[in-house]
Amino acid sequence: MLFIKLALRNLARHRNRTFVTSTIIALAIFLFILMDSLIGGMTDMSYATLIDYEFGHLQIVNRSYWHEKEKLPLKNLLPWETVNHPAVRNISGLKGVSPELEFLGRLNNGINELPVVGKGIIPNDFYKVYPLADQFVEGAEFALGEHKAVLGKRLAELLKLDIGDYITILVKDKNETFNTIDAEVAGLVHTINPNVNSNYVYLPLDVVQQALAVDESISRLIIRLDEKDLAHKASRDLQGEFSQNNDQIGVYPWHEIEAVSVADAKNAGIRVMLGVILLIAAIAIINNVILAALERMPEIGMMKAMGLEEKEIVYVFVTEATGIGVLGGFSGVILGALGVGVFRRVGVDFTTMMDLDMAQWGIPVLGKIYGSWSPITLVQGFIFAASASFLASILPAYWAARKDPIQAIYRR
Amino acid sequence: MRQISNVCAALLCLIFIFAPVFTTTNAMDAEAIIRKRDQNEYVNTAAADVEMVITSGRRQMTKTMTSYAEGDNALAVFTNPRDRGTKFLKRGDDLWMFFPDAEDLIKISGHMLSQGMMGSDFSYQDIMESDKLLELYEFELVGEEKIDGRLCYILEGIAIPEQEVSYYRRRSWVDQERFVGLKEELYARSGRLLKVLKVNELEQFGERWYPTASVMEDKLRKDTRTEFYVKSIEFNPDISEDTFTLENLR
Repeated sequence: MLFIKLALRNLARHRNRTFVTSTIIALAIFLFILMDSLIGGMTDMSYATLIDYEFGHLQIVNRSYWHEKEKLPLKNLLPWETVNHPAVRNISGLKGVSPELEFLGRLNNGINELPVVGKGIIPNDFYKVYPLADQFVEGAEFALGEHKAVLGKRLAELLKLDIGDYITILVKDKNETFNTIDAEVAGLVHTINPNVNSNYVYLPLDVVQQALAVDESISRLIIRLDEKDLAHKASRDLQGEFSQNNDQIGVYPWHEIEAVSVADAKNAGIRVMLGVILLIAAIAIINNVILAALERMPEIGMMKAMGLEEKEIVYVFVTEATGIGVLGGFSGVILGALGVGVFRRVGVDFTTMMDLDMAQWGIPVLGKIYGSWSPITLVQGFIFAASASFLASILPAYWAARKDPIQAIYRR
Repeated sequence: MRQISNVCAALLCLIFIFAPVFTTTNAMDAEAIIRKRDQNEYVNTAAADVEMVITSGRRQMTKTMTSYAEGDNALAVFTNPRDRGTKFLKRGDDLWMFFPDAEDLIKISGHMLSQGMMGSDFSYQDIMESDKLLELYEFELVGEEKIDGRLCYILEGIAIPEQEVSYYRRRSWVDQERFVGLKEELYARSGRLLKVLKVNELEQFGERWYPTASVMEDKLRKDTRTEFYVKSIEFNPDISEDTFTLENLR
């Protein structure tokens, strides 16, 4: 207890050093927490934007189609009966089921053309799965059978299209024969998903099926559940049901899609970088403790001369350093929590701030990015600061404590 | 390939699909016309210097290339300064492209085949079509019409159901004296006119009449056209065996 008091008194006596060192530690922890929040926020938003606008919680597709899904082939499609399969309708937590027929085409405004991904949808079903109905900036949705299209505002701007304009989409049907889909632009949407804004054109499913000569087939069935956490179990149950009759049908939860894997891999990479930042912070802490030991060499000599044993001096030093770490860690956690609070409320718009297109970095999010709240990170930050200070101080403390008292007093 | 063969013999030179097998299945008159046209336009082996003038709005680009073709294989090497060294190699059903700047081979497949080749009105698909038109279309003689003062037969071909063909319907105007296609219209299944090819100049090479200047227009886009000129052409030259290899493409 005596040595703890001594250590604490030393912290108070050397308040400038204590302040500077703990501030550095606090800053490191603050940045760590903020970075973690940013990465977490980006990850959450990436998942949300993929689930909300592209993949839903579950996808039911033909297994052969799944292997070639990037090419959006018109082979190995699902029969229409899949849509009304009892197993699909009886999924626990089911919120919506949307059949989709996807295809590649070239959107033409009569002057220029751009490659697009076309999606044949049933509007009523589609809007139960994807929150696109709330994202219209102009116009409105279409009904089945109408030769109308909904596309992203950005895509419309690129081709100088307005509501009421007519577009032609050049497609290749099931027989690889060119066909055209003529449609009136019925609505424009703008979402946080860059693909929806720039690459997708939504059309009535029956119009697309006819144009692609695929009868009533669909590319995939998208399922929305009450919670994304239900996806894993639902996919297993559903797969079990389908496997009894048709082993060609595959059920894929959202976390198995490639985009999520890529996002996870990128996050893992970013977290490794974060680890490097923490390592640098640890080196800074070690440096500070060593400098403190050197600075207080005469004091150590005096303590030894007064009869303190080596382990007692080490104890005092380590306690002091840990105290600085605790102070810095605590301050960092408080600052970090405040920062994350602001970050969650206000968000950061990298696109505006730094003219950065996050989509180019593989993050399918537009507009502001909001931080995520992770209490575990706060605890981790605090523990890291305290333990790094503790561990970093042991060796310098031993080194100082082993010095001859006279040499230490005279800084020899 | 079949596209090209039907569409334009000049394009055949360019991309070296020198096999316009214009044949019909049941209309004897149409079949005879196409057979005669084939005698002019069908080319198995050739080497040619060609020029392509691509116009899109006010922008105009000129591309020149040297091309070699033999059977199902073809090689086009661009020679204009901007694209010098760019090569296209067609081997059977595969199309490869080599960019000298990237020093890399790119296989053109999937939906990329629908894009205009080097920004032209000819799509990559146009140069990839097979030459088995006989199995793909049913032709019919539907009338006569004058094109640039020359009387032509009008032939209409409809894709045979379940066959993989790019254009569902095609309409050809064949010169009644010289048996060369002077105009070709290509339609989507929806009935929409997609492309029109018009032959403006012909030259006689021995017994053969061959198109040396033609224009392709993409009818889905305004103010766009690709003029195609055969500057020189040699029929049945000796072409070395390794001309059509991927190694030679690099």
